[in-house]
Amino acid sequence: MTHQTHAYHMVNPSPWPLTGALSAFLLTSGMIMWFHFYYTTLLTAGLLASTMTMFQWWRDIVREGTYQGHHTSPVQKGLRYGMILFIISEVFFFAGFFWAFYHSSLAPTPQTGGHWPPTGIFPLNPMEVPLLNTAVLLASGVTITWAHHSLMEANRKESAQALSMTIALGIYFTYLQMSEYSETSFTISDGIYGSTFFMATGFHGLHVIIGTTFLTTCYFRQQLYHFTSSHHFGFEAAAWYWHFVDVVWLFLYISIYWWGS
Amino acid sequence: MLTQDLEVVPVPAVAIFIPGVQLSRLVVSNRAKMLRNLLALRQIGQRTISTTSRMHFKNRVAEKQKLFQEEDGIPVYLKGGIVDVILYRATMILTVGGAAYAIYHLAVASFPKKQD
Repeated sequence: MTHQTHAYHMVNPSPWPLTGALSAFLLTSGMIMWFHFYYTTLLTAGLLASTMTMFQWWRDIVREGTYQGHHTSPVQKGLRYGMILFIISEVFFFAGFFWAFYHSSLAPTPQTGGHWPPTGIFPLNPMEVPLLNTAVLLASGVTITWAHHSLMEANRKESAQALSMTIALGIYFTYLQMSEYSETSFTISDGIYGSTFFMATGFHGLHVIIGTTFLTTCYFRQQLYHFTSSHHFGFEAAAWYWHFVDVVWLFLYISIYWWGS
Repeated sequence: MLTQDLEVVPVPAVAIFIPGVQLSRLVVSNRAKMLRNLLALRQIGQRTISTTSRMHFKNRVAEKQKLFQEEDGIPVYLKGGIVDVILYRATMILTVGGAAYAIYHLAVASFPKKQD
């Protein structure tokens, strides 16, 4: 019987990179079919296929780490670098939208009336629901830190409570933001203000939903005894992602909601 | 005790057809029944919570570790059993079939019919 004599992880050949790539093809061609021909079957197939790929791929990673013991220290170090690099790439993604906002708002063109906010745009009051949203996300940052410390101290009850509070705050933020969206007097097609507002806040909202899903997965894994007090990288990755989402909101609030109003 | 109280009449639907005095008596008696229901449920809820704590998950990690460490040559994406195989096949059919379907549609869209 041959066993490896190194601490690294030689992964089993997997079909998920292929199905992931094909799903991306279905998503993109599906969008073309929807935009040009009002035909949604391909897009639906793409959404379903990408969801199935993500579920199975991440399920396999849990199996490899928690059940097969492949996540040794050097492997975990690699996973940490990977998550950090991914979050950095997301920072650049949002940087683009902030660039667009500042480009348009620092030197308003004659088309906007020469000032910001443009003529005819009535921004949301930053001291109302947006401020509540800020408090909600900041509080969720506290609760997730509490959950982490409870986890490190092997306190099952408190880590479950704190994690579920974090998830509840995330859901509350999404609910509040959705109701704000229905309250705006402007839409995405209302000039450059509408475009920058909804692209930046919309993608942020999507990231909140992704983060909440990640945290929920961690909640169930914690209940299933996957985490130990010293080895719980999945939870740490979720916590890093959640703090990133919080920081993006703070930039959004200060730039678009407050300074931009 | 609970079953007796469950003869609560669905008031909203019936209410339209009953004159004023009888309606208010119905509403009051239904409200009293609902309150008794609620209090009884609370008592039962309190009793059960003390013995079980919400969702009771057992620690099955050791079993899973044994299953996934079995040296049978099965790759990790199929090692969980028949559900893995079904999901894998469904995903493959959807993606490969879908990609072929997408290429077909793109080909059709690339050669639009001439309209005279």
